[in-house]
Amino acid sequence: MRVGLLTEGGYPYATGDARVWCDRLVRGLAQHEFEVYALSRGPGQEATGWGELPRHVGRVRTAPLWGEPEPRRGGWGGRRQRRRFAEHFGELATAISAPYGSGAPYGSGVPYGPGASHGSGASHGASAPHGSGVPGCSTDQADRFANGLHGLADLAGEYGGLSAALRSEDAVRTLERACRTLGAPHGAQRARVADLLNVTEALERALRPLSLDWYGEGAGGDPGLSGVDLCHTATGGAAVLPGLLAKRRFGTPLLLTEYGVRLRECYLTGAAGAEGGPPFPEGGRPLSGPVRSLLTAFHGRLAAEAYARADLITPGNTHTRRWQERCGADRERLRTVYPGMDAARFAEVGEQCAAPSEGDDRTLVWVGRIEPPKDVIALLHAFAEVRRWQPDARLRIIETRRGEDAEQDGYPAHCRALADHLFPDEAADAHSAGDSPVSFERLGDPEVPTLADAYAAGGVVVLSSVVEGFPVGLVEAMFCGRATVSTDVGAVCEVIGGTGLVVPPRNPRALADACLALLSDAERCARLGAAARARALELFTVEQNVAAFRGIYLELMSHCPVPREEVGEGGGPLPFARPAEAHVPGRWTAGRDGDGFGHRTPGPAASRPAPEHTPTWAGPPPREPLGVGPCPSEERA
Amino acid sequence: MTTPPRRNDPFAPAPDPDPTPSDQGPASDRFASDRGLAALSGAARVPVSRRPDEASARTGTGIGAGKGQGKGRRGPADPVRALMHRHHDLCARAVDPLEIAAGLEAHGVTDRTAARFRHRDVFSLAEELYARVPRAEEPALPAAAAPGRALGVRMTLAALWLLPGALCAATASAALRVDAIRKDATIGLALGAGGAALTLIALWLCLRHGPLRVRGRGAGRGGRIAHALGTGWLLGYAAAGDWLLTGLLDGRRPYDAAPAAGAAVVLALAAAPAAWCARWFAVGARRRLAVSRGLEEFASGVRPLFAGVVTAFLCALAALVPAARLTVPGSPPATAHLSTAEGAAVALCGLLFLARLLAVHGFRRAALSGIAVACAVQATALATTAAARLPGAGPLGEPVARLTAAQGAAAVPAAACGAAALALLIHAFGALCRASAHGGPGARTARPARDPRTARTTPDRAPYGVHRAAQGAHLAP
Repeated sequence: MRVGLLTEGGYPYATGDARVWCDRLVRGLAQHEFEVYALSRGPGQEATGWGELPRHVGRVRTAPLWGEPEPRRGGWGGRRQRRRFAEHFGELATAISAPYGSGAPYGSGVPYGPGASHGSGASHGASAPHGSGVPGCSTDQADRFANGLHGLADLAGEYGGLSAALRSEDAVRTLERACRTLGAPHGAQRARVADLLNVTEALERALRPLSLDWYGEGAGGDPGLSGVDLCHTATGGAAVLPGLLAKRRFGTPLLLTEYGVRLRECYLTGAAGAEGGPPFPEGGRPLSGPVRSLLTAFHGRLAAEAYARADLITPGNTHTRRWQERCGADRERLRTVYPGMDAARFAEVGEQCAAPSEGDDRTLVWVGRIEPPKDVIALLHAFAEVRRWQPDARLRIIETRRGEDAEQDGYPAHCRALADHLFPDEAADAHSAGDSPVSFERLGDPEVPTLADAYAAGGVVVLSSVVEGFPVGLVEAMFCGRATVSTDVGAVCEVIGGTGLVVPPRNPRALADACLALLSDAERCARLGAAARARALELFTVEQNVAAFRGIYLELMSHCPVPREEVGEGGGPLPFARPAEAHVPGRWTAGRDGDGFGHRTPGPAASRPAPEHTPTWAGPPPREPLGVGPCPSEERA
Repeated sequence: MTTPPRRNDPFAPAPDPDPTPSDQGPASDRFASDRGLAALSGAARVPVSRRPDEASARTGTGIGAGKGQGKGRRGPADPVRALMHRHHDLCARAVDPLEIAAGLEAHGVTDRTAARFRHRDVFSLAEELYARVPRAEEPALPAAAAPGRALGVRMTLAALWLLPGALCAATASAALRVDAIRKDATIGLALGAGGAALTLIALWLCLRHGPLRVRGRGAGRGGRIAHALGTGWLLGYAAAGDWLLTGLLDGRRPYDAAPAAGAAVVLALAAAPAAWCARWFAVGARRRLAVSRGLEEFASGVRPLFAGVVTAFLCALAALVPAARLTVPGSPPATAHLSTAEGAAVALCGLLFLARLLAVHGFRRAALSGIAVACAVQATALATTAAARLPGAGPLGEPVARLTAAQGAAAVPAAACGAAALALLIHAFGALCRASAHGGPGARTARPARDPRTARTTPDRAPYGVHRAAQGAHLAP
């Protein structure tokens, strides 16, 4: 089976996000053939080149989302093309300049792809999804956006030169008209000419995937995306565009994996990060309100469109999942696949955890970068409290990397000063040199040469962050079989799942209490550590991640095959190449496997973070998730 | 863009010293219920029950400041107000509630925190904040910032544009005077060639930077080569075209370098006003971009600007002609009327200026066609004149001959360049007054390192056959 891996600013390049797990995924699924379609984010990325690719990566094609657009090819500029362009771009512009939250929530979709006649990919999204506040998206706005997008894609496929058109006066004029219509939000109404130009330029860059030659009409009979059996989009953002187009044109099933919500990043960076590369390299001025308004609306609509069209969406954690649901992803097509981490590094330490080494159990360890979001100061205050009740306790703060941000340079120094102030050097008697109970060390020092040694340095690992995404350090500590005390931020609850102590953030006293509870109870420490290691090995290993995707690939292949004419050896038609069940509506294997469609059985009950966090997979999904055949109501009829 | 708020200032991370009951209530409830879920380790969830002696010791030392706990002290009636105040900037700047939600999450607000504010999740909290905080009216953007150079540096850079003109004038003057003194032409020739080379190098260096630089890839390599060839032809014709045409019409004559030198000096001197005018236009247009509220408003503001720029350039040319006469020996006096040859040089300057201006703003095709038209007219004039010398083809050379007889040989380039410049002017008046010609700062991004279309590799695999599609349909990989 051939998998088209779509990435943006990541995988084949040696730098960028989503690189490591893509590499592991590709190497782990050597029985499939991979074709990598990568969009690069900047000149720096292209300069670093590609990492080493395994042999079953059949083809790598790249395109930049930055720099000057390609020069226009001939054929553009005819009256008819211009009219069509204005029409489609007008739809797109109207959709992105619609006010937030207007109209009914996004739900129904237009019949999609050539698979409409084959019964695949057509019927999902027939009911309004959970998220009622899809970013500004009503049904007809979303339809309008999709129509505009695919109209532009068709235009680009027919005539090329979409980039030139998007930078033309026609585009600016269309956008202006859309912004000046009566219902447009205040932000869009205030757009000045410079804002309009910035928006059209950013749209041109973001829509560049539409005019690539990846869709089978490339030179030399290159099948491109028309030849793959599954599109796996490794990030959200612009990388979903080729997947959406392939889905529409060839009915290729689309799998969307997001470990961080691109839309959220886009909001955080002022709508800048998502269209690839630093948008305004010289100056880096903050974008004005109208520009942010229009661009975030564009990315919101794009995300909603991708979530609505994807056959399966795999968020990396509950936080991502919540954002996706909010943006209109159907709960039934969401399946959390935790990122995999390399457990082998910690195997030795983890195996030893049953017999803790001497004296370690009085030591707390904190590992990470000393940055304000990690709240080391609260940790120090908590440790002061610990010392009141446990005077022989020690704290080792192990710095993995120095923060790159220059303005945060004062923070580590401040932490050291506070530690010196709170914990003066102590000596055993009047004749020996003293030592502070808090030590600051650097990873790579002789005492802590590796990360595993760092975690092994103490009996209890502490995480004191106030802001955290997916807590990698916590998972590493779990791999090492250490009992942990962490703050309830980000995905911590979800990760730890009852195999460690969790306290509210910004609460040194609770942190101190939890640490004391563990320091005084070595047996409980060992029990929690073993449970944590078992949990981490079950959920967060690379093997788990790869196995999950292996299953998802096969499932998507069987449920949503690409509708192709089956051709035999001699070029003639091949009867019965596809089982008859493929055309039968409803469930293929009803009543045979437990929950119907191979959902992973929920983990131990303790893994549920909180009642309102109960993941959807905990309860039986109400209906067929993958959109094969009609929805249950029709079935009954 | 996302700086932590003051509350999150890590340098003063005092834990909430006075947690209100509404603070503690939901959270501890949740922990209690979580404790039931914690299958693996009994009461794994914290708050860890405090030992009684500990508690008394703490209250004794006064660390536990939460004296109000349990006394039923009520929280504020509007808990969101404090949050609103704390994140006011974020909320006032946000373009939609999701932006507030993202910002809140970046500051550590979770669903659990949102529960404290009696909201289901961060999203609904963000929606309340979005609805309650008035949007900040953004101050009008200041006119696009100057490119960060000091005034002195900018003046120096602008003055550098005088260098080609000065070099050319010095060369022409020196070479012609040396020629006049000595009978031997080799020294003058060497001087002229050396000076011309220096001038061209200076001009090339100037054009690679500054306001007349054409950014990005042109209409491909072919377009660039055609552009260079066309410009070369025009310059070559200015140097020797008239002599050639007169020779074709009336028989051979010795080459007179003075008119060509005059034209060259005018052209080289015109580089400076061209750069200054282009810069004026770019800066003015950018300023109007930032303040205009609509495309029509922008266009109506830029049209007078463009007209002013073109007029200023023409005025500068008119001043350059006498300057060139002063430097080149053997020219008519500075006060004399404009000769046809000088008119041709001026027209050529205008044509090249407009073409460059159009190319700088992305209309390379239009620029190229303007130059190509002028080249074609000149070449046709030469070709018909040459063809007229063939037996039986006399009438072909009639129009050029008449024109030359009336206005001199320089009338041909003057007409060609003038007509092309006029056409370009009309086109530019429409094209350069549009907003899209003045693309925002993003237009000035770096060039891609290589062909951006697509790069591919097929690491030692056989090409995919026709039957791959059929194979791909099988489930088993």
